[in-house]
Amino acid sequence: MDIVATTQQRSTSLLGASPGVRARKLADQIATVVLWLMASSIILLLAMFIIYMFYLGVQYLTPSFIFGLPAETTAGGGIGPEIYNSFYILILTLIFTVPISTAAGVYLHEYAKPGRFRELVVFSAESLATIPSIVMGLFGLLVFVYLFKWKFTALGGALTLTLLNLPALMRVTQEALASVPDTFREASMGMGATRWQTVLNVVLPSAIGRMTTGIVLIAGRIFGETAALIFTAGLSVSSNAPYDLNPFHTAETLAVHLWYTHTESIVPDVARIGNGSALVLLIMVLIFNIAARVGGRALSKRLTGRPT
Amino acid sequence: MIGSIARRSHRNERIALNVIRLCAGFVILAMAVILLYLTIEGTKTFFVDHFSPLAFLFSPDYDIDGNHPGAAVFIAGTLLVTVFAIVVGGPFGIAVGVFLSEIAPHRMAQLLKPAIELLVGIPSVVYGWLGLTLLVPLIRDHTSSPSGFSLAGAGIVLAIMILPTVISLSEDAFNSLPPTLKEGSLALGATRLQTIVRVLLPSASSGLAVALILGIARAVGETLAIQLVIGNADAFPNSIFSPTATLTTVIVGEMPSATEGSLQEHALFSMAFMLLLIAMVLILLVRFALRKRT
Amino acid sequence: MKRNAALAALLVGFSLSTSSVFADSSITVAGSTALLPLAKDAAGAYQAANPSVKISVSGGGSGTGINQVAAKAIDIGDSDILAPSQPELVDNKVAVTGFAIIVNPDLKVTNLKRTQIQDIFSGKVTNWNQVGGPDQKIVVINRTRGSGTRVVFEKTVIEPEKVVEGGLTEDATGTVVSVVQQTPGAISYASFSGTHGKPVVELAIDGVAATEANVMTGKYPFWSYEHMFTNGPPTGDVKKFIDFVATSNDLLAKNAFIKISDMKTSETNR
Repeated sequence: MDIVATTQQRSTSLLGASPGVRARKLADQIATVVLWLMASSIILLLAMFIIYMFYLGVQYLTPSFIFGLPAETTAGGGIGPEIYNSFYILILTLIFTVPISTAAGVYLHEYAKPGRFRELVVFSAESLATIPSIVMGLFGLLVFVYLFKWKFTALGGALTLTLLNLPALMRVTQEALASVPDTFREASMGMGATRWQTVLNVVLPSAIGRMTTGIVLIAGRIFGETAALIFTAGLSVSSNAPYDLNPFHTAETLAVHLWYTHTESIVPDVARIGNGSALVLLIMVLIFNIAARVGGRALSKRLTGRPT
Repeated sequence: MIGSIARRSHRNERIALNVIRLCAGFVILAMAVILLYLTIEGTKTFFVDHFSPLAFLFSPDYDIDGNHPGAAVFIAGTLLVTVFAIVVGGPFGIAVGVFLSEIAPHRMAQLLKPAIELLVGIPSVVYGWLGLTLLVPLIRDHTSSPSGFSLAGAGIVLAIMILPTVISLSEDAFNSLPPTLKEGSLALGATRLQTIVRVLLPSASSGLAVALILGIARAVGETLAIQLVIGNADAFPNSIFSPTATLTTVIVGEMPSATEGSLQEHALFSMAFMLLLIAMVLILLVRFALRKRT
Repeated sequence: MKRNAALAALLVGFSLSTSSVFADSSITVAGSTALLPLAKDAAGAYQAANPSVKISVSGGGSGTGINQVAAKAIDIGDSDILAPSQPELVDNKVAVTGFAIIVNPDLKVTNLKRTQIQDIFSGKVTNWNQVGGPDQKIVVINRTRGSGTRVVFEKTVIEPEKVVEGGLTEDATGTVVSVVQQTPGAISYASFSGTHGKPVVELAIDGVAATEANVMTGKYPFWSYEHMFTNGPPTGDVKKFIDFVATSNDLLAKNAFIKISDMKTSETNR
């Protein structure tokens, strides 16, 4: 006998109920409607944002805008080098962050015994996660620009973003590892593999779908990061070659450029650059989100035969 | 033959373990260094420039040229904007969290969850830009604010930004409740609303507290979305439609022109240090809330 | 095998780009948004004539320019004001710029006495009808602390009064102009290069119009020198570029700047 189902069936009918019960059921139905409205409003809000941004910005998405060079004082500037810098810093950040955070996550989930060291690692990660990005940017300013005297560099920005995203990627790793059934580990070690061999050859491949999803989602967030980069990667693009490979070049990203256009800049076509840049950022986020889901699933299927 | 393979794999095991431990230790090191540097630079205002910490915290007179950087206006701005955001976004977020956990049919959840994930992914500078182009003209045309730059605008933008955090953590809190709680309540004849309000909400209270605290943490640390809509005025707001400034907007507005080693730079780092302290306090609160649960 | 080839390619690419760093000379310029249009135009012209030199120009405000050149993060710091607290910086004056007090065009106010301007910005006067305009609250938009324009404003127009805090502050010339244009009742101030020809009204002060000619004779008080600071005496391409900026008559005129040699008056404290 299904208690939950029968009580729910009974409580949806208002007829033949006493006044007290009727009031309660009415309240219940009103509340349900309100909650549905609230939830729908979120979807509507998102849809409105997306439509508005496309409506405002799609007219500006010409090749000369997307690939052109920025202008400081005249109309007609583009965002090509800024997009390049966003990707450059993103890749550099991931190169540093993914190995360290994966290793730390593996340690926490597969190896660490409860104790002071483990507690300290967990606490440090939580604390790092709560530090506001602007404060982290100031730390980067102190260390990379003032102390190391690098001035404004892509490398400084990437290292700052590494510190900022370590906790998030550690959490991604841990959740992905937790999704791997223990029976896998037991079977592997039962066959005589060491713990490291188990992790490397059995656990990580099983977890890789989820990890990829998480990493790509976080990559989307790194792409849009601004506050931590203003003081570390700078407000202008490299003077040497707009598409500079040297990690020590000044690297204004697209997100920083959007901010700069609305606070510091004196170009007359602020609306064009603002609307266009915002739309490009949005499209990148959409791409990252979709790629995260699709890519994660495809990779997982390839390596383990399971969808996640 | 077999012994040497076993020895090699044991050696690899030890190497791997040490490398991993090193990476975990790096996290601790990073946090310690950050804490150290920000504390040193953030207290120079008091130890090097000999400005009183009490005056820093409570004096609304931010006068750099007069060597008197009182930060009370900005501290108040941070608090006000955060309170606004959590009052508007907190209950809304918990309600939607309840919805996702208890009411939403699978199809709706499949639509809502990616939508929330997308909202999280939108960069804060885009939120600021949306506030600037959508919200500021609205406030300018329909309220007492002459320019549209206001506390209310910043509060609304922030409320939207913290919604995803509050929603997903609330949903987690409800999902982790034992199902017997809900079943028992319904079996006793309670409606779903009564069950949620009288049984589930109180039981999930520590998880919900965590959701709200982390929402607050997000609001306190937000910089750019606020800076583009709040008007950057060095004064306490007269109403929610007046402009003001927060710790984060002052930092990002003045840091580029602050000379290394000047009082202004020290004052700005002291503000950053304050933000760090607030973040630490919030973490401790979260741990306290979680411990209460078990 | 494939991995080694990829690594080699990466190293070659890296060294090619870094070698370009050392082969060509590069100049970084940043600071005052008032000087920015001239600096940008001059950089374009100079690079066209000297392709081996790369010049990057950005804004950030006079304070930022002084700050960064003092920290040797850039080569030239543009500023509307002097830098007495940084004695190691060498002052290279390149031009004179006038600044205009701008108001929202719907107000139909075109001229104010200097005392009226002082009263508005110090908070004594809060409605436009007190100074001959419509019944509309005055919205003061100030510049941020790092702005050289603000310092010049306080020194040449507002003194001995003080600007009241608590108004909106905006940073760059462009932002200020667009906010004034959109906000009814707004008043602010910015350099000629940012205000001439824009849809805002440039006020005359005590009946003297905001024009280059009036700045040259000194009748219009709101002006300053544009300084290109260098950390130590300028040499090589940096010196050549600074000299180029100061002598490009057509670029100066196009951007509403005044050649120093055309000034009939001079000051020592700006």
